[in-house]
Amino acid sequence: MLKKLTIFSGLLLLLSFSMQQDYKVTAGSIAFRSDAPLELIKAQSSDLKGLFLADKKQFAFIVNIKSFKGFNSPLQQEHFNENYLESNKYPTASFEGKIIEDIDVSKDGEYVIRAKGNLSIHGVVQERIIKSEITVKNGNISIRSNFTVLLADHNIPIPKVVYEKLASEIKVDIKADLIKK
Amino acid sequence: MPLLKRITALIIIAAIVQQSAAQDFSGFKAFKISEDNKVFKINTLYKNSEGYIYAGTTNGLYTFDGKNFTAVHFLNPAVKDTVTAIFQDNTQQLWVGFKSGKLAKKINGHLQYFEPEEGTPKVAITAFLQDKQNNIWFATNGEGIYYFSNKHLYLLNEAEGLSDKYVHTLALAANGDVLAATDQGINICSIAGSKKTVQVIGPKNGLPDYYITAIAPAGNNTFWIGLQEKGVCLYNHTTKQITIPAAANQWPYGQVNALLGTQNSLWIATQESSLLKLSGTNGSMVRVFATATDKNNLNNLLQDNEGNVWMTGAEELIATTGDKLSLLPLYNKAVYETIHTILSDYQNNIWVGTDGGLIKYTVSNIKTATTFFRVKELSSKTDITGLYQDIYHNIWISTMGEGIFVMDAATGKYRNITENPRLKKASLLSITGYGNTVCAGGLEGVATIFQLTEINKTIAANYAFTNYDSIPNVGNNYIHSVFKDSRGRIWFGTDGKGITVLQNGNFLHYDKSNGLKDEHVYSFTEDAKGRIWFNTKDAGIYSFADGKFKNYATAEGISDLKITSIKTDGLGNIIVVNEKGIDILNPESGLITYLNNAQGIGDVNTAIESTATDSSGNILLSTENGIVMYTPIANTVQQPKTIINSVQLFLQPVDTSGMHQFKYDENGFTFNFTGLYYTNPAEVHYQYKLEGWDTSWIATKDQSIPFPNLRPGTYTFHVRSSLNENFQNASESTYRFVISSPFWKRWWFIVLSILSGALLMFWYMKWREKNITKMQLLQQEKIQFRFEVLRNQVNPHFLFNSFNTLISAIEENPKTAVDYVEQLSEFFRNIVNYRDKDVIQLGEEINLLKTYFYLQQKRYGDNLKLNITIDEASKKQIFVPPLTLQLLIENAIKHNAVSKETILKIDLFLQDHHLVVRNNINPKLSQQSGTGMGLQNIINRYNILSKDPVVVNNDKKYFTVLLPALKQQQ
Repeated sequence: MLKKLTIFSGLLLLLSFSMQQDYKVTAGSIAFRSDAPLELIKAQSSDLKGLFLADKKQFAFIVNIKSFKGFNSPLQQEHFNENYLESNKYPTASFEGKIIEDIDVSKDGEYVIRAKGNLSIHGVVQERIIKSEITVKNGNISIRSNFTVLLADHNIPIPKVVYEKLASEIKVDIKADLIKK
Repeated sequence: MPLLKRITALIIIAAIVQQSAAQDFSGFKAFKISEDNKVFKINTLYKNSEGYIYAGTTNGLYTFDGKNFTAVHFLNPAVKDTVTAIFQDNTQQLWVGFKSGKLAKKINGHLQYFEPEEGTPKVAITAFLQDKQNNIWFATNGEGIYYFSNKHLYLLNEAEGLSDKYVHTLALAANGDVLAATDQGINICSIAGSKKTVQVIGPKNGLPDYYITAIAPAGNNTFWIGLQEKGVCLYNHTTKQITIPAAANQWPYGQVNALLGTQNSLWIATQESSLLKLSGTNGSMVRVFATATDKNNLNNLLQDNEGNVWMTGAEELIATTGDKLSLLPLYNKAVYETIHTILSDYQNNIWVGTDGGLIKYTVSNIKTATTFFRVKELSSKTDITGLYQDIYHNIWISTMGEGIFVMDAATGKYRNITENPRLKKASLLSITGYGNTVCAGGLEGVATIFQLTEINKTIAANYAFTNYDSIPNVGNNYIHSVFKDSRGRIWFGTDGKGITVLQNGNFLHYDKSNGLKDEHVYSFTEDAKGRIWFNTKDAGIYSFADGKFKNYATAEGISDLKITSIKTDGLGNIIVVNEKGIDILNPESGLITYLNNAQGIGDVNTAIESTATDSSGNILLSTENGIVMYTPIANTVQQPKTIINSVQLFLQPVDTSGMHQFKYDENGFTFNFTGLYYTNPAEVHYQYKLEGWDTSWIATKDQSIPFPNLRPGTYTFHVRSSLNENFQNASESTYRFVISSPFWKRWWFIVLSILSGALLMFWYMKWREKNITKMQLLQQEKIQFRFEVLRNQVNPHFLFNSFNTLISAIEENPKTAVDYVEQLSEFFRNIVNYRDKDVIQLGEEINLLKTYFYLQQKRYGDNLKLNITIDEASKKQIFVPPLTLQLLIENAIKHNAVSKETILKIDLFLQDHHLVVRNNINPKLSQQSGTGMGLQNIINRYNILSKDPVVVNNDKKYFTVLLPALKQQQ
């Protein structure tokens, strides 16, 4: 938690010093979906925040776990926070790292890029490569990305009782619009 | 002793100093891959687990079988992407990497693009590797190194300390580390657990340079490293030591593109200096393709399962025999023509017998030195027939007409062996030996065996000898060779008198009577298991073991029966030499492989003693181009591998891993196969048999056999291949499949049909039975009813009442009485008319009813009312069993009181397809008992005639009978 905050604030600091092309998330949403044989769980949050330093190809995204809404019942949301993600101990999930390709955000267009970074969920950090589609228009960037999170990767155990109701692979969908700072 | 009378000083003709890299043998073949005159560049080569060579080109992926390139079927056939890396993992899954960064693998039997969730690189994939945890790695040209692990794809780049993201190739170390060659040194990558470490090795560790171009395993966790400018060096990953071979110092050959470490050598493919071979035995560096000027830009070294070495050139695929053959062009044609015998001595120098003496060639890293040793007694007309070096390193020389000389190899001093008078001016054909025995045989039955002792360390001392002049069954015959084996037996090979063996003091003789087809025996050899082998003039070779002879001739695969000589190589194979090359026979399996002109061997000397074995077990042949050395390579394939490439159904490929069951109309098959053998693919013979169709094996040279129109049944397609006509141990491949009968021939269908038929018959009979029964019942009911009616009508009571009424009528009104009698007779007449009918029209029944009613009304007057409301149409359309309504009315009258106070009203009308007869109930004080059979009878009759039942209602007010309205005549 502390580590994450440090990285995040570090980037923020970096941001304040740099005078290059830096982008900030203005509208970011993240949705996840657990498609299990006996139950489909969906939730989303529009509390996604993030930064992208175009020159250094570095980025960081962060979301508050408690901001996820849309479960099948309030009890489910409560279990999500208290038992599975333990959001009191680990209030946020984040992904920060560096883009693999060279990308020129000064030119309008659509690009497919891959980001290599650390995905931190439930206090467990996993290095991941995540593919995204980036659209640059009039100096603004919008990112669209979907990827899979394996619960086992982040130490989120599925109790046998809910085995058929919770998928071990969660599909995550991210949409974010960024503007130049 | 006058031995040393003639000691001749040796004359050194000339020490021919060669260039720093001795010229070597190529014997190469080149193949191009092209379509429509467009040649495609081959970027990478790979050998799969079956030994098949894959070529990744600018036009997609191909397989190569030694003759032709075949495109590997891609799921989308239009895709012709440039392939830059190929790999097969330990689950036999094929991986392909492209210049575009895309990946492909076989999914559901089809090669197709494969996009992991994380995406694929945007730069070329250069190499694949599978580590000790079975993870698949791939290196890229600009993004670093990727690897799959636990369902995810990861990347090693500068973030982990990778010194350069342009990675040329990968290698796996014994402890699981992955070595990566880059322009910034060797990167040692480790992903133990989830911790990724990269360690860089460069000049500070001893590497000659940063620019690493190639890494090839050399065994024992050591690796050959190729560099851009500084040549090659050996890196030991355990000790982290780097050693540079002497021949690689001051590297003058330019950029190293690829390396291949084989059993005996390091092969180096360079950009500008063609192909180099660094010998593992003597450290010498030779340049292959010295004469071919266009063999540059060589890369992608690969060794096939037969030991041949392959590489790519600028636009071609090149094959060489690898370590198997090398050429030492030591002499010119003039010298060659004088050579009848050669020898390889204890120091691996090569001696040849020439006019007037011997030439000794010393081949070394730097130069080849040539020394001539003159034997004065020998003119150009006296042939030297054999050379042998004994245990004291003295060289024995057998001649035609001058007996035997023995020479000190170091000084060149020699003497003629005069202590044996038999040898004076004798003509010897060969000289061999074993241990401290030297044997010689020749013309006029001369055979001598020398026993050496310590005193024979120098040539000065006399040799102890025994002459075998009169060997029984040999006499004056030529003795081609005298051979002592490891068991101490002495073998005498004669020219027409078979073989004589001296064993424990006894002579044993073998000739045609023992099974020898040819009694001209030339030379002997002994294999690793103690079997004795020899070659004959016309009948091929024989092995002798446990008292039995076994022949190998054309049928067993010997290519040429004019055999020069027979030798045993270092791996225990029997080498049969002919004028075009050698047959290599494995004595255990009987498999024979061939090396000859097709592999670049020139014409071979046909003198019996012109081949030699050196101390390493290599075979030396004297050829017109120089000395050719054959080096046996362990663990190589000795026969073609039979592979069914594809099975086609109506020329569409079938997935041979899965489906083996076909429908009756899927019966046109084609089998495509290869006997994979890269050394001489044109020599492969095939035999096939479709079990279930063919009764025996069929020979063919085709590689594609069609079978149109197969009948339903179980089949197994067998195919096997061989380099000759001997298929005894041939590699066989099979494909089993079933063509099902059409469903109408299947057992279950036939059984079902029979059962159905039986069932149908059964039902039909039952139905008929039911009908018959029904008819019978109807008949019965009819009879019953008629009987009832008759009974009722003949009921005395009815008659009595009728007559009573009649009497009243006669008394009251005679005219009405006549009417009454007429109606009565009419009534009875109707009964007679209708009694045989099953049903009558409603109209007719109503008429009858009216008649009856008239009769009754005469009795009861207005106290009896009958109300009929039925339309005319219905009277014609509806049918009733005769006298039904009459009986109902009669019942009504019978069971109810009819008086002025209790008027009986009977209604007859149609309601909902029913004929309704209803009367009000006037209970009688005394019930006249009816049997009830009349109504029951009506009900029974209607049951037969209609599905609808007759309904009887009695609600204490009304008695109602509902009869189904029968529309058709039954």
